[in-house]
Amino acid sequence: MKFGNLLIAGLITGSIYAAFAVCIAVWYRVSNILNLAVGDFAMIGALGVDNLMRVKHWPLGAAVAATVGTVAATAYVYDRVVLRLAQDGRRRQEGIVITFFFTFALSFFIDGVAKVLFGTDVHAAPPLWSGNSLTFASGLHVARAGILVLAFAAIVGALFTLYIRYTLSGKAIEACGENYLGARIVGIDNRKYRRIIFVVTAILAAVFGILESPITGYTFSSGATISFTGFIAAAYGGFQKPGRAAVAGVAIGVLEALLGGYVSGQHADTLLYAILAALVLIRPSAMGLETAVGG
Amino acid sequence: MPGEDMALRVSGMSVAYGNVVAVHDATFAVRRGECIAITGPNGNGKSSIVMGIAGIVPRRGKVEVFGAQAPPSDVMWMARRGLTLVPERRQLYPHLSAADNIVLGCYSWTRSMRKAKNSAAFDSALQLFPDLRPHLSQHAGTLSGGQQQMVAIARGLASNPEILAVDEPCLGLAETISKRVYEALARVHQEGKTLIIVEEAPKRALQICTRQVEVRNGIAT
Amino acid sequence: MVTSKVTLGAARGAGGLPGRRTLAGPLTSAGVVVGVGVVVMALFAQAYVGSVFVLALTYAIVTAGMAVQIGFSQQVAFSQSVFMGLGAYGVAVLNTRLGMPSLLAALLVTLGSGVVALLLGAIVSRASGLALAVATITFPFIAVGFVSSASYLGGNIGMPLTGSLWPSASSTATAVGNGFITVAVAGIAVFVATRVLSSDIGLELYVLGVDEGMAMANGVSTAKRRLELFVLGSMFAALGGAVYAGTQLFVPATLVDATTELSLLMMLFVGGRRSVLGAVFGAFTIQYVSGQSNFVSVNILIVEGVLITVVLLVEPEGLAGIGMSLVRWVRRSVPALAARSAASATGAAAGGAVGGAATGAAPARAGNAAPALERSAAPGLQGADGDGPAAMTDGSWDAGQAAPDFRAAWQGRQAPQGAQAPQGAQAPPGGAGPAASMLLECAGIGKDYGALRVLDDVSLTLPDRGIFGLCGPNGAGKSTLLNIIGGSVAPSDGTVLYGGADMARLPPQERFRRGVSRTFQAVHLIAGRTVLDNVAVACLDSHRSSLATGIVRNRLNEARDKAMTALEYLGMRGVSGTDVSSLTLEGQRMVELARAIASKPRLLLLDEPASGLSETQRERLKQMLRAVGELTSVLLVEHDLGLVAATAEKIFVLASGRLVFAGGPEGFRNSEVVNSLLVGL
Repeated sequence: MKFGNLLIAGLITGSIYAAFAVCIAVWYRVSNILNLAVGDFAMIGALGVDNLMRVKHWPLGAAVAATVGTVAATAYVYDRVVLRLAQDGRRRQEGIVITFFFTFALSFFIDGVAKVLFGTDVHAAPPLWSGNSLTFASGLHVARAGILVLAFAAIVGALFTLYIRYTLSGKAIEACGENYLGARIVGIDNRKYRRIIFVVTAILAAVFGILESPITGYTFSSGATISFTGFIAAAYGGFQKPGRAAVAGVAIGVLEALLGGYVSGQHADTLLYAILAALVLIRPSAMGLETAVGG
Repeated sequence: MPGEDMALRVSGMSVAYGNVVAVHDATFAVRRGECIAITGPNGNGKSSIVMGIAGIVPRRGKVEVFGAQAPPSDVMWMARRGLTLVPERRQLYPHLSAADNIVLGCYSWTRSMRKAKNSAAFDSALQLFPDLRPHLSQHAGTLSGGQQQMVAIARGLASNPEILAVDEPCLGLAETISKRVYEALARVHQEGKTLIIVEEAPKRALQICTRQVEVRNGIAT
Repeated sequence: MVTSKVTLGAARGAGGLPGRRTLAGPLTSAGVVVGVGVVVMALFAQAYVGSVFVLALTYAIVTAGMAVQIGFSQQVAFSQSVFMGLGAYGVAVLNTRLGMPSLLAALLVTLGSGVVALLLGAIVSRASGLALAVATITFPFIAVGFVSSASYLGGNIGMPLTGSLWPSASSTATAVGNGFITVAVAGIAVFVATRVLSSDIGLELYVLGVDEGMAMANGVSTAKRRLELFVLGSMFAALGGAVYAGTQLFVPATLVDATTELSLLMMLFVGGRRSVLGAVFGAFTIQYVSGQSNFVSVNILIVEGVLITVVLLVEPEGLAGIGMSLVRWVRRSVPALAARSAASATGAAAGGAVGGAATGAAPARAGNAAPALERSAAPGLQGADGDGPAAMTDGSWDAGQAAPDFRAAWQGRQAPQGAQAPQGAQAPPGGAGPAASMLLECAGIGKDYGALRVLDDVSLTLPDRGIFGLCGPNGAGKSTLLNIIGGSVAPSDGTVLYGGADMARLPPQERFRRGVSRTFQAVHLIAGRTVLDNVAVACLDSHRSSLATGIVRNRLNEARDKAMTALEYLGMRGVSGTDVSSLTLEGQRMVELARAIASKPRLLLLDEPASGLSETQRERLKQMLRAVGELTSVLLVEHDLGLVAATAEKIFVLASGRLVFAGGPEGFRNSEVVNSLLVGL
């Protein structure tokens, strides 16, 4: 059942894109910065666990803990040092520079470190739930890793939506991104939330990378593509609604899988991007995209 | 006076933006339950004084709230101590609903949405401006200028402050609403809160304020 | 602090970016590039240094265009690597397949890329801001897919070619020739780019980038400019690619991919995004760094990541910004120079949108860099009435006497089509006149926002002179009505006739050109620019001209002169050189007003101009309004009923979207409806 299997594969990669899109959108909400290094955090998660287990023979639990911990620490330090200097000092930076370029630079940096540490080959973290793909009637296969990914994405997504909608601190997070000064006036610590969300999304990205890498395999430069796709999906959600970003991510994943299945290899990718570009251009205002680049 | 509870004591405070000194050496005090107006022509430092007190712009000098010394640029500290500022340009959250904007005023004293929504402070903030009722779920950015001002003041009240500082409460408001605002502020004052109102035209403020601090050229008298 | 002893001459600046001291003007910039280039080529053409120089210069051609498109005008598009590839592959194909000399091929390809960019841009530049970025971020990926599968282009590897830009048998001659050609092309590119930025069109582009809504309201054809910017950036990129092919003799497939695009962006931002010379420095810096040592080139990603972060932390305007700060510091430290320099605000010169960004009214995200609130203005601006240093206007200003030429020109402009031209100052009280001769006729205007009926059957007419008030409680629809007349919002029902013509399809910029000018509730000025330049935005004559004319002609100073007369008319000549971000809110409001009248409008829409003004300033505003009301038609939205009653000859009152009163000030004061609504008696 080709279509069904493609659909399932698409849903799985789509949920990855959705997860990254939500990470980008939410953090943008809080900080007005686009985290274009999110894919690179995922890559570190995958390659780090692989390296620790395969090369240094650490047990799975320790490898995961160490890798995720390192990612979290990196994100924390980056916020404490770089973002603090850029935003929390007397001269607060806004506009294109802070929105795009600091995290661009971070992603370059992480890729470079990964290249040194892990080399240029393709690797993957070991599957957390090993075994063959589960098979259902009518010939549908689902990779076990895929199920984990979907489940994790769904749980995280649901928890997050509830948090934002029903708790005061969830609203406070939104307020941070709406009006920096306005949030401070009611006692919200924007910097703290910015830092927390940055670290949390970095951790989530790393975990997703670990879960998903058995399906596709990662190399030191994989992060960029993931970040870009996540960015596009987040953009379709208009950055205001993480829910929409998630839906967009899933849709892109499905579209990619279907194109890959029915159109020959090379052209599938090209066609995918052409469609994505066209969708934005047909009605740019319908995307609800704001001018985040003023200033 | 000895034994009196001093809500706010400002000593030798100055505010400068780069090389431009907006406030020189301001010294004054506000007793608990008092209502004072900070007046003076625009551009002379009134807003800078309250912004400096609230910790939004960097300041030098001493500020004490109920006897505790305030760290120089800590808005959060102020909010938690019970001094809330309703700033001059509203600073609302455009894509959140009016109700959400107001309920976030409660952030300084609770993290629980339930407690916030059920609190007396939130309720009275809503009661203050019945005109807002039909617009509560509308995005704050789509409200008219005057409606936004109402939301900003309601948000200030939702934080249940002991000291409420309002910078130009009637900017952009029609006469009827301005009266309502001052009635509300008068009620707030009657409940025992301390009020600091920044107004360019002292006439309105002096209807409820007992004292006036005039600011000219950055100097408070 | 440097005092603001400004003269018109000083305000003009030395060329380069309008109104502000920059690194260098067009000739200087090009001269630097060509000068250094000639020297380097003469000495090192054959050596490694020379070849690195040429490569850097090739990238500099691309980044020069990016400085105009992305840095200055803030149209972030990720399309440069694709066009660079178009240029490079184009030359390679023409050279290897058709045997065309590379130089000729380069020319043809660049022109051809312009056509391609025009076609592609017509679709792409409909998007702006983030939408543009999202749409174009796919381009490198699409291009990579296309190139890898095209075997005639060399597939995944790339395409070699044999024709150098300077074909010659001797490799020395080739190296030298290529070098000089590259230097020449780069010099031209830098010159053209800098010319555009320093012209009046440059000011249009700047405003477009900072605040598109305000740009439209002041006549800028934003869609056209965005297209032109896309074409310009693309052509520069193609030219760079063509030169690349002709000098490197090999087009790698990686030239079109995302890494190249990112590198180009890094070069731009490290160098200084708003400055053409800065962009050139950036290209050289990155090239220099890449070639430094083996360690660096292997770990280029790490090095670049750190480098960009550090540079941007120090100075978001990149190396050019650092350079300019140094220049400013030197100027300040040397007493002889300090006395001559014009004032500009110390501190942030980031150049964002200034003003009431607190509410959803402004497009920019809230939270400005520095609160532009109460500041003691520079000494020397004392108002005669002891209003403190906040007084914007000269003490001796008299509305009836100031700037007679400006007034005469404005009066002369009021050649109405079909509207009555009353002799003398006053239009008849009650604003009458046969309906056909009214300047503005709104009939049955209605507006729905979803289920909310914000305006319902509102009709009003205005003659071509006089002051008319529009009042009402909050939420009554006043700003919406202004937006409909101004063109930024379309009505759901009803028609708006202006000078007898239906304005239905006219966008705000067209209405501006026909004489409709407005202010907003929130202040929309450009921070980091002088008062003069902010007002000059409304005096630009270049709206209908194409971008290319900015290369040839620079009428920025004419616009500034016009702006100056408008400032004189309001008695604000003394503050013309002050940076607007150092003004108080009332000062900024005055600048907004100056900008609104600078174009000598036929219909002036003022949205709460008295808000935030002191008593004395309101008196001044009344005087100004009365003077202006003799020259044009003013629709004044105001809450200050005293002000309205004292100046307006007819007052319209809106409540809940309906017109509930239309009459003179006496009737207004006595009307029960009005009193209950507005005064609360």
